Amino acid sequence: MNALRRHRALTRIWASAPGWKGWFTSVNHTDLGRMFLTVAVFFFLVGGILAMLIRAQLATPRSAFMGPETYNQVFTMHGTIMMFLFAIPFFEGLAVYLLPKLLGTRDLAFPRLTAYGFWCYVFGGSMMIFALLAGIAPDSGWFMYPPLSSTIGAPGINSDFWLIGITFVEISAISAAVEITVTILRYRAPGMSLAKMPIFAWYALVTAVMILTGFPPLILGSILLELERAFGMPFFQVAQGGDALLWQHLFWMFGHPEVYIIFLPAAGAISTILPVMARTTLMGYGWVVAAAVSLAVLSFGLWVHHMFTTGIPHMGLAFFSAASTLVAVPTAVQIFAWIGTLWRGRPGLHLPMMWLLAFFATFVIGGLTGVMVAVVPFDWQAHDTYFIVAHLHYVLIGGFVFPMLAALYYWMPHFVGRKTYFKLGGVAFWLIVPGFHGTFLLLHWAGLLGMRRRIDSYGPGQGWEIINLIASVSGFVMAIGFALVLIDVIINAVTAIRGSRDPWRAGTLEWAMPTPPAAYNFASLPHVDSRDPLYADRELPVRLARGEGYLGDPARGRRETLTVDIATGAPRTIVVFPGNTALPVLMSAVTGLFFLGMLVKDYWLVPISALGVIGCALAWVWSLGRRAPEGPLDAGRGAVLPVASEVADPPGWWGSLFLLLADGTFLGSLLFGYAFLWTIAPNWPPPAYAEPGPAALALVLAGAALTAVGGRLGALAGVAAALAGTVAVGLAALAVLAQVPDPAAHAYDATVWVLVGYALLHQVVALIMMALVAARRWAGHSAVTRRGAARVARLWSDYAALVALLAAAAVGLPGVLA
Amino acid sequence: MTTLVALAGCEESLSAVHPAGPAAATIATLWWVLLAGATAIFLFVAGLLAWAWRRPPGEVAERPFVIGLGLAFPLTVLAALLAYGLVVGERLLPRGGADVVVVRAEARQWAWSFGYDDAPGRVTEDELHIPAGRPVDVALTSADVVHGFWVPRLAGKLDAVPGHVNVLRLEADAPGRYGGLGSEFNGVGYVGHRFTVIAHDATGWQAFLAGEGE
Amino acid sequence: MSTILRLSLPLTLWLASFSAVYGLHGLLCSSRWTGPDGRWPLIAAALLALALQGALLALIATRRWPEPEPTLHRTSLILAVAAFVGTGWTLMPVAFVSHCL
Ligand code: HEM
Ligand SMILES: [Cu+2]
Ligand SMILES: [Cu+2]
Repeated sequence: MNALRRHRALTRIWASAPGWKGWFTSVNHTDLGRMFLTVAVFFFLVGGILAMLIRAQLATPRSAFMGPETYNQVFTMHGTIMMFLFAIPFFEGLAVYLLPKLLGTRDLAFPRLTAYGFWCYVFGGSMMIFALLAGIAPDSGWFMYPPLSSTIGAPGINSDFWLIGITFVEISAISAAVEITVTILRYRAPGMSLAKMPIFAWYALVTAVMILTGFPPLILGSILLELERAFGMPFFQVAQGGDALLWQHLFWMFGHPEVYIIFLPAAGAISTILPVMARTTLMGYGWVVAAAVSLAVLSFGLWVHHMFTTGIPHMGLAFFSAASTLVAVPTAVQIFAWIGTLWRGRPGLHLPMMWLLAFFATFVIGGLTGVMVAVVPFDWQAHDTYFIVAHLHYVLIGGFVFPMLAALYYWMPHFVGRKTYFKLGGVAFWLIVPGFHGTFLLLHWAGLLGMRRRIDSYGPGQGWEIINLIASVSGFVMAIGFALVLIDVIINAVTAIRGSRDPWRAGTLEWAMPTPPAAYNFASLPHVDSRDPLYADRELPVRLARGEGYLGDPARGRRETLTVDIATGAPRTIVVFPGNTALPVLMSAVTGLFFLGMLVKDYWLVPISALGVIGCALAWVWSLGRRAPEGPLDAGRGAVLPVASEVADPPGWWGSLFLLLADGTFLGSLLFGYAFLWTIAPNWPPPAYAEPGPAALALVLAGAALTAVGGRLGALAGVAAALAGTVAVGLAALAVLAQVPDPAAHAYDATVWVLVGYALLHQVVALIMMALVAARRWAGHSAVTRRGAARVARLWSDYAALVALLAAAAVGLPGVLA
Repeated sequence: MTTLVALAGCEESLSAVHPAGPAAATIATLWWVLLAGATAIFLFVAGLLAWAWRRPPGEVAERPFVIGLGLAFPLTVLAALLAYGLVVGERLLPRGGADVVVVRAEARQWAWSFGYDDAPGRVTEDELHIPAGRPVDVALTSADVVHGFWVPRLAGKLDAVPGHVNVLRLEADAPGRYGGLGSEFNGVGYVGHRFTVIAHDATGWQAFLAGEGE
Repeated sequence: MSTILRLSLPLTLWLASFSAVYGLHGLLCSSRWTGPDGRWPLIAAALLALALQGALLALIATRRWPEPEPTLHRTSLILAVAAFVGTGWTLMPVAFVSHCL
């Protein structure tokens, strides 16, 4: 079979449906990556227009352009859109598009999940846009502090849009994170050990794990606040045992890592692009990996630096001040490793490099002002002023937008398969970078002169007028620059000339394919034995196209790729991917109905759509695997490997493991919140603690034991045991709730309800999983093809049992202590 | 009304870098030190970067960059900075003392009420009276949402949180009027959430406590 | 997975002990605390955290928890040292800063 015939055969297998239908049924990562990026850019434009409205309002004193009702929605939505609907999804899109190509594989681990996440993002984002157009957008600031954002300060539907819409969008972040993690750990080219991974993959891995552990506190906080708003469960109301500061802790436990979730992918792009621009390799690979990991973990111990003025004792602040200064060290390691790389190489001044220089100039300033506000007394003055606004834009635009522009110009030849021909990019550069510094540099000073952030107007005579005028004019210059970039991209995508493959002479695998890429990425999968496979073997692309790698023979007529051992990269299994399907878009639409029901308070819609989601999920899972085992198959290059669904740890098992990491963090945040209220909230203890009593405790113990044992029994006995376990836990739950009948009475009662609900939910999930395994048995699946699914079910039933025990302990303990 | 006019004419009435009390002065000094240090570091990094295009090609070792510049350099600078910040922070805490004056502030949307331990029952709206030259502890709380209390020329800010009482130490060097701001976003009336601190000399303070000038 | 654990465990332990000491500090300064006043529990907790980090560092440095791949061995060593130093750096306030003011 020659290269062209192989290309045709593979394209038949992998191609998305033609025309508009393909958009809704495609599960291909190249398509979805492009769609993600396009929608994220759309939201950047919306957020940018809002920024221009802000700058128009503040250009002159006593502006009457917008009243505070409008202005508050505008700045809240600007921040919200930029953080949740632009920055994070843009990373997801870039990772979705690039990762399989960098790793030398054909798609992400769970293609349908990619599509599901994308559509949740689109639908959730549309909810936010609707609120904005209808003039009922959130207006309490992007961190939504209650009581201002709760019913007291915001009785309308505005806050609900934020709490429900953003939680909906978060589903896409969590799905993408699970998928990215599993892909990087298991879906690499054979031979690519961890130490030979392209550096971007390390950064993406770290970022994905951060999303899994960083987002759950926010999701929890949003659920609690929505429960307070909708049903009066008083988690944040001090009179009934809640505390406004609980929200601030939960929000910033997410919010600080969030900033690094935004920065780390950019750092990954820099570590990839900069060495190529300097015609050398990255200095200190091992150090840079260590820096990325330390940055990630340290960033989870900084959250209180957003709360330096909330009245926490000085020692508490000191811990976080120390941690916040420390986080500058891994940042410095990266910066100097990059500068060292430039010294070692022969850097040119192509457009991507220009953007990297803009990154250095801007991000270093943002980092230095960041260290300033890590010093507690200084933050007491700077907090909530324009100093902070300036700082955060230096970090976010310098540390994310500029590197992403470098990435855009670096990978554009890959996206569109053409040579950059028109040179608008250079003009845009010289508008954006000076425009940016003109907008934000002097605003630091305005902050020190007393200009608070979030004010909708200001009087003359404070020395702020000229600063704001300069800021607004420069802001518009910057906006023109961004418009030029957009035009540049569009022109380059539709016109210009076919470029050469690998225009930058890079070493990573994404350039080992024709561009724009084919649906299947690689005609055959490479065997990798160096960090820059293309430097090691310039002929690699041709050899792959000729089918000299793994899985080069499309004879089985289905979408296949390989998984490898995590550490060594030795090939392990053959994965069979699902084909095009509309199930993801359908399922996310039904998920949307669930959220919509809560938003408009048509609660009958909620259980119905929940059942709909379960139905879709069952249909989804049912289509996996086959009745009779296939046994080991030929994978090319002499390798004979089993099919992934017939081994003990199928991809779904790994996906579940990392989803449980997020789920466990959610539970941990809930327990933290409970302990926090118990120690800090003023109106504690509650009038009465629930005392489960020996009968209820026995029921929980028995229920947990049955659930856990059920996961280890055969299919039918397992379901029976899990069913009995669920009934037992349910009875115990009823007994407890009977003692705290009114969740709106006190934050304690409300917390007990949430804990109990969480435990019951997981019982039901475990039960459904085991029922599914049993149903497979009935349908005639063999023991071999059932094995992986049974192990997944066991993972969930073990977790459900653990949750039941923890919840019982948490509910009962204060009563015992008191 | 006269207050507003008097304040509006003054360029630095809300400026943290034109301190009029010991706490604000300490922090203003801290700021100038931070600015000088940051400028130096920025120029240094920019120089290293520019040199990459100027230097003659040749081998570059990893250690000086990663260990020297990446680890040793920031660790030294940050250790000094952290110590400085913590010492300053300790100095600004509201410790007990013989001549400390205690006042109470309650924030609500969009006003401030102030009460005085030395004149029980006395409440002023949007005007906080203090004696000049004596340390004042402001005990802050809120009646509705989270607010912030900030008198930029006298001290840093501290939040007023429902159900909590936070204590901020401030002091004015000289008698006069100082602009105060609600400094935590609190809804549509946020811009106007302001107040004035009036620092009296010793006799003026006694007169205020005695209820004169009402 | 073992490689991944070796890379992430030391700093995760830092995060856990750092949060625990912060929580303990919150408890000691809250109205819930009825025991004696003083910073000794905090100092003890910080020393314990440091000792655990030391043990972990020793395990990795002496290759008793071996990583066969040289680059990754060095990376896990760097991370273990970072966690050890970080624990000392971030918990240092227990000894010097006034604790409930
Ligand atoms: C395109 C140029 C941009 C301009 C001119 C701009 C301007 C502004 C201004 C003036 C504010 C302060 C609003 C206020 O306090 O009243 C603001 C807030 C904010 N901006 Fe931007 N911005 C831009 C881009 C971005 C980007 C790219 C991001 C994030 C990736 C971002 C994130 C934020 C956030 C989080 C806030 C805080 C919102 C809040 O206080 O609730 N901005 N922006
Ligand atoms: Cu932060
Ligand atoms: Cu604040």
